[in-house]
Amino acid sequence: MSFEQIINNENQEMNPLAPVLAGVVRITCDAVDMELLKGFEDLQSDDGSDLIVELIDLYLKDASQRVLAIREAALANDWVLLKRVIHNLKGSSASLGVHQVAETCKKLEGIECEHSPEGIGELLQQMDNDFARASEALTSERQRRLQ
Amino acid sequence: MLPDRLRVSKRVLIADDDPVMRHLITTIIKQQEHEAVVANDGRAAYRILQSDADFKAAILDMTMPFLEGLDLIRFMRSEKRLMRIPIMMITAEQDIKLMARSFSAGATAFLPKPFTPEQLQSAIRMLLGNRQSKRIAA
Repeated sequence: MSFEQIINNENQEMNPLAPVLAGVVRITCDAVDMELLKGFEDLQSDDGSDLIVELIDLYLKDASQRVLAIREAALANDWVLLKRVIHNLKGSSASLGVHQVAETCKKLEGIECEHSPEGIGELLQQMDNDFARASEALTSERQRRLQ
Repeated sequence: MLPDRLRVSKRVLIADDDPVMRHLITTIIKQQEHEAVVANDGRAAYRILQSDADFKAAILDMTMPFLEGLDLIRFMRSEKRLMRIPIMMITAEQDIKLMARSFSAGATAFLPKPFTPEQLQSAIRMLLGNRQSKRIAA
């Protein structure tokens, strides 16, 4: 059985990679809305470039800088900057289907940092985890598209 | 050749600090055979608008460094040379009050995130076909 056949084999009992694939699919679907991302295919130009790869590259570069900025703003207790960067990350994540990062940003936005900063640490950790999983899924999709 | 006052501009001002959105909107604008003029934040957009009014439409992000989208709308609506340019406001908030404030300031269209590529595409298409005659809540 070829790798292609194994991948496409819907009968999981017959598929030796089924547990692995199920895990990969679950992580990918949880972290990024691939259907929304693939919706951008209709906007592809004829010049040979891949718009989705370009968008992934832009997002990963920009979002990783914003995640870092959020950490630094939290350490400096700069709540105004923190809220602004969180808001921006929420918007860019939502537009690419990175819903879990967007959702955690929404929760962070809702915290009254000045009055009750207790929950922030936990949510920042959550955001790091969400972003790491989204990065993995997006990088994997990027590689798949370039093959 | 048409005199300047009769010529319809094909240029669209895009002001957004999110590089993903800038690239996405620019791609759609080009596909619709228009030219994108890009500003990375509100202050850069303001500087462009101070000396350039040759735009068919403007697409502004609500929250930007230095100058917010709402301030830019108010500026554009206060300037005779800019006041007829249709403006679409893009925001990360699904907030009815924000939509009301945008329209009240003079926005032509309001598009909250998240949106699908089709929604963004059709909102831009509607904006470019719009002559500041009606409001669009996408």
